[in-house]
Amino acid sequence: MAAISIHRFAQCITCHAWSPDQSMVALCPNSSEVHIYKMGEEEWERVHILQKHDQIVSGIDWSSMSNRIVTVSHDRNSYVWNQEGTEWVPTLVILRLNRAALCVQWSPKENKFAVGSGAKTVCVCYYEQDNNWWVSKVIRKKHESSVTSVAWHPNNILLATTSTDGKCRVFSTFIKGVDSRDAAQPSSAESRFGEQIIQLDLSTSWAFGVRWSPSGNTLAYVGHNSMIYFVDEVGPSPLAQSVALRDLPLRDVLFVAERIVIGVGYDCNPMVFAADDTGIWSFVRFLGERKITSSNTKYGSQLSGAFGKLYAQSTKYGPGNDISDLSKLNVNAHTNCISCIQPLKEQGKAAVSQFSTSGMDGRLVLWDLENQLDLSEYICLFF
Amino acid sequence: MAEFVDADNAEAIIARIEHKSQKIESLLKRSKPVEALKTALEGSPPNTRDERCKSANWIVVHRALMTIKDVDGMFSSLDPEYYDILMKYLYRGLSTGDRPTCDQCLRIHEKLTERAGLGCILRALADTTNTV
Repeated sequence: MAAISIHRFAQCITCHAWSPDQSMVALCPNSSEVHIYKMGEEEWERVHILQKHDQIVSGIDWSSMSNRIVTVSHDRNSYVWNQEGTEWVPTLVILRLNRAALCVQWSPKENKFAVGSGAKTVCVCYYEQDNNWWVSKVIRKKHESSVTSVAWHPNNILLATTSTDGKCRVFSTFIKGVDSRDAAQPSSAESRFGEQIIQLDLSTSWAFGVRWSPSGNTLAYVGHNSMIYFVDEVGPSPLAQSVALRDLPLRDVLFVAERIVIGVGYDCNPMVFAADDTGIWSFVRFLGERKITSSNTKYGSQLSGAFGKLYAQSTKYGPGNDISDLSKLNVNAHTNCISCIQPLKEQGKAAVSQFSTSGMDGRLVLWDLENQLDLSEYICLFF
Repeated sequence: MAEFVDADNAEAIIARIEHKSQKIESLLKRSKPVEALKTALEGSPPNTRDERCKSANWIVVHRALMTIKDVDGMFSSLDPEYYDILMKYLYRGLSTGDRPTCDQCLRIHEKLTERAGLGCILRALADTTNTV
């Protein structure tokens, strides 16, 4: 089975992030607190509670080199937490938002982080040595609605965002004194902070979950209309592909390799997408187990969780079939919408073979791709 | 000025829909309901915000839709590229509240969901830009 560990931490998990050595996980149990768990002898053990926010924590990111945690919340604030001895000490970052902060991510060099907000803005924050203070620079008047997700390009300059106005945008976040010109790629070398490089208008409804591929050549994001979009050659003439899903929409994506993407969302079961030799992206299969009797494969492939039950009840099956089918449908690792997917990175490896998902069912599930024989043809190429 | 352009555009679209309508009638006479439905769905939804055009196109689609007797047979010759647009028109049909139309739409809806999945329904419901 692809799911190697399932643990229920809370009623609902809004987001989670892993410590640099992956021995600890920070998660928000749908409250104003962030709980840090450590894998003990047998069980997960709660080792820290980060209490500073007043409302639900909507984003957590744990930097892998500097071991700092950044959290953002619906209370419109952000904190950077530093470990001093056994304590986590928060530093307030003034974002000056008038709406909730929704998502956060450290830049690859970990000298900046980006916060997407319901105020139609993106805040890019960086550390000012002289004042011992995190400063926020705001990208204003570019988004027409809430910013649902942010993703850093590996070059530490470009930032991709998705918004509930249905668009995906890429900005330059060049900050004088923080970034050096030669670090930027030739295409972005000229751009100033907040300059929009591209606007992708592929989705007709809310867009979520944007990520760059490890090389930064491909961008993937999802739409609430059950579509996933792949964009190559992000620049003046991008090459876009849309893949329509058979099933419920996705919420978040993760590149596990340059040409393999895992999507998670309302179907409660991670989906694998891969690009073939010609660069055409397509849906490969669900990652979770799905034992379905051959008589209803047609229904089974689209059913899951609560929605599946509802649908199955209203559909005429043969007598006696229903109960066994329903119980089999419930073997899914997740029983509700998956809202967050995080890689478990191995040092010095671009590809990811393990990752974790969390969602509205309060479960944290660890997945391993290594023993997935049918995926090995894609995986061999890249691991 | 913009209104004039829109009006011109609308006239052109209406003319095209009329042409489509004639083609559909001749296909129906030769008892090719699936071909008629394909013709009706082609170029839909009309790329305009003009409600007259949308209604005119719906009438044409409705005409072809109601002639479908063998739903399974229809799907065996209807390509998946038509699924999303067909789903949108099924919901338009259901919104009319007209009994025979709703019966027909529900019958097709069941089979279409089986084939195209819930994603198809979501694309039909979530699209607020290209309404039919």
